[in-house]
Amino acid sequence: MEQPPLEPERQLQPAPVEPLGCPDAELEAAVSEEGEGGLEEVSEDRTMTENNFWLKKIEISVSEAEKRTGRNAMNMQETYTAYLIETRSVEHIDGQSILTDSLWRRYSEFELLRNYLLVFYPHIVVPPLPEKRAEFVWHKLSADNMDPDFVERRRIGLENFLLRVASHPVLCRDKIFYLFLTQEGNWKETVNETGFQLKADSRLKALNATFRVKNPDKRFTELKHYSDELQSVISHLLRVRARVADRLYGVYKVHGNYGRVFSEWSAIEKEMGDGLQSAGHHMDVYASSIDDILEDEEHYADQLKEYLFYAEALRAVCRKHELMQYDLEMAAQDLASKKQQCEELATGTVRTFSLKGMTTKLFGQETPEQREARIKVLEEQINEGEQQLKCKNLEGREFVKNAWADIERFKEQKNHDLKEALISYAVMQISMCKKGIQVWTNAKECFSKM
Amino acid sequence: MSGGPPKALPSTGPHSLRDMPHPLAGSSSEEAVGGDSTPSPDLLMARSFGDKDLILPNGGTPADTSSPASSSSLLNRLQLDDDIDGETRDLFVTVDDPKKHVCTMETYITYRITTKSTRVEFDLPEYSVRRRYQDFDWLRSKLEESQPTHLIPPLPEKFVVKGVVDRFSEEFVETRRKALDKFLKRITDHPVLSFNEHFNVFLTAKDLNAYKKQGMALLSRVGESVKHVTGGYKLRSRPLEFAAIGEYLDTFALKLGTIDRIAQRIIKEEIEYLVELREYGPVYSTWSALEGELAEPLEGVSACIGNCSTALEELTDDMTEDFLPVLREYILYSDSMKNVLKKRDQVQAEYEAKLEAVALRKEDRPKVPADVEKCQDRMECFNADLKADMERWQNNKRQDFRQLLMGMADRNIQYYEKCLMAWESIIPLLQEKQEAK
Repeated sequence: MEQPPLEPERQLQPAPVEPLGCPDAELEAAVSEEGEGGLEEVSEDRTMTENNFWLKKIEISVSEAEKRTGRNAMNMQETYTAYLIETRSVEHIDGQSILTDSLWRRYSEFELLRNYLLVFYPHIVVPPLPEKRAEFVWHKLSADNMDPDFVERRRIGLENFLLRVASHPVLCRDKIFYLFLTQEGNWKETVNETGFQLKADSRLKALNATFRVKNPDKRFTELKHYSDELQSVISHLLRVRARVADRLYGVYKVHGNYGRVFSEWSAIEKEMGDGLQSAGHHMDVYASSIDDILEDEEHYADQLKEYLFYAEALRAVCRKHELMQYDLEMAAQDLASKKQQCEELATGTVRTFSLKGMTTKLFGQETPEQREARIKVLEEQINEGEQQLKCKNLEGREFVKNAWADIERFKEQKNHDLKEALISYAVMQISMCKKGIQVWTNAKECFSKM
Repeated sequence: MSGGPPKALPSTGPHSLRDMPHPLAGSSSEEAVGGDSTPSPDLLMARSFGDKDLILPNGGTPADTSSPASSSSLLNRLQLDDDIDGETRDLFVTVDDPKKHVCTMETYITYRITTKSTRVEFDLPEYSVRRRYQDFDWLRSKLEESQPTHLIPPLPEKFVVKGVVDRFSEEFVETRRKALDKFLKRITDHPVLSFNEHFNVFLTAKDLNAYKKQGMALLSRVGESVKHVTGGYKLRSRPLEFAAIGEYLDTFALKLGTIDRIAQRIIKEEIEYLVELREYGPVYSTWSALEGELAEPLEGVSACIGNCSTALEELTDDMTEDFLPVLREYILYSDSMKNVLKKRDQVQAEYEAKLEAVALRKEDRPKVPADVEKCQDRMECFNADLKADMERWQNNKRQDFRQLLMGMADRNIQYYEKCLMAWESIIPLLQEKQEAK
């Protein structure tokens, strides 16, 4: 399937199943990397387009965050954080990277991009954004959006989002995404011009469909159930983990008190003094080591959070399927009733209640000409309906096929990423244990010299 | 005042003392031993000298108090380094086998006291009796009465808040048993106290209650005399060394109190951490049930956290049972020592007052009256005994705290080692390629 040239608006829907030339599973999103994202994107798109963006390898990074003040829509002063997005292209030959684009975006613009992608790629599990407000914090962490640590973690999260999109075989080709990275001014207007807000399915419609759909694909029902459970269990995990962090912090910090009292005690001791004093120093080291340990653990929590939010993206795909399926079922039902009406008119039997039947009874039979006219209209409608139904059926099947392909891709990614996260968590724990052994061994050595 | 207390034999110095296992130490003190543990020549000399003195007719109980260089205080000072080598030890006491007794009026625990000795003061080479806490309490009072110039080791706390602590729980009984065992061992190691009559009876009598009723019959003369020192004499000037001891004990008790509070706080925080961990681990299990490829890794993490929780529980139990009680004992110890210091002050004050009274009478007696001389002897004896006991106490304290703190470090190391092992063992599980489901 030829890739149509990218237009200023958007890609055509539905997106092709196999993205042309984009390597699929080999692409690794650089998750939560500090500084430059080491992502490479190679496109073997043979179509010569004006924006041959993807011919070169690119690197995307959200390298800085800056506090800004400005005026909002209601002309009130507000403070917000802006993030610097830098795009580098890497020359094939010498591996050098040149900065090709650099612009500032704020969080709300990321949200806009994502909402656009959700509307135009409903069959894709769209990567989530980092949380808007700090949640699952343990006491030392600030819940303040302006807190530098929060801003830093958000910077990493936003970079991760861009890398995820850029490494997605379908999403990476989107024009709006390209413009997000390259066109600072006017981008908002461009996005709004796509009319995606209008295209979006209403929440109410979606809810209605969820309740009333009769025959959704079982896999989607199961997937929805899974994403509900996943969301619940990861939330629980994050909550408890925050409490665990809190308690662990307390344990370590109280040991710091030993430092002081050993020092005071050593002052009145002759032979024991030195040993006590130096042991006390190690207790201080122990107490202060927890800060770095817990900072590293936040990284793990962020990895879990990403998949917590991914659960919502999964649910969105399932909802779309239910909506489409419901739509199809309604169209089929409508067609069936029209056919029946037609049949009744043709054979003259009135089996079902109809307004026409009532009025006929009240006001007299209609003329054969009138009846013929009605049958003709119905037959036209039935024809149209059958065409539409065929189309909807096709659309529905395409959707299911494409969505399921992306879901399989997502599952692989999830399993890989979460395994890596668990491994890095275990490594963190091992490091913490080793540090603990070291400190206490040093302290024991000091005690032995008492 | 003729002559001061006799000079102690050349001390072996703190270095070699540190190299020797503490008499109260269990097997874990093997670690505490630095270099080689063969006694230095100085020690050997001290020991043999001490042996000779041991075979004195009255076994060293302070019957004769006329000279400050009483055999008991001499013994005390000489035997400072002596108790270490098992060869010369001739008295072994153990407390074990706690048993619950349920009677109509009350329920209580008794402990078996096993004594093995070659001393002449014991008719049999071996004894086994049962005693309850009350009996230990009685013994301690008697020792305080009869040996007021010596530092008597502390007992574990008498009262427990009913409802908060279960007096009959395994942990409580075991903690108490250890403390009672330590109490008797400290007395056993003391060259004077170990020969005390009441101690002997405690270890050997079939019916202790009958003996208790006999009352004061065996109170020693020193005990008697010191007991009758009334208060009300004002001390002129405390000798520097005893003032220093007093100050030391004050600060020491303060610091121990702080350490006790810190240790309790740490245990409390660790228990709260444990509570959260016990909720944390199972969530990974719940998650594992939802997953396919991730099921085993998640379950592995859950089990791992479970293992760490268990290790933490062991740590907090150990610290509660082994660390806190020893701290508290030492606080009680320093309290009782301060009382002995006060008594010493009183003895000195009485002597000074009597001396002054004689001087004021302006009689030209060349000889100091007998009762003033007695006072002087009493004071000098007290000073000597106390000084020797303090030195002994300092050394024992150092050993005890070294062992205690090393034990604390050890337990923390063990805890981290258990956790380390748990986490290291799941890395291969996490890295394993799962079969596609």
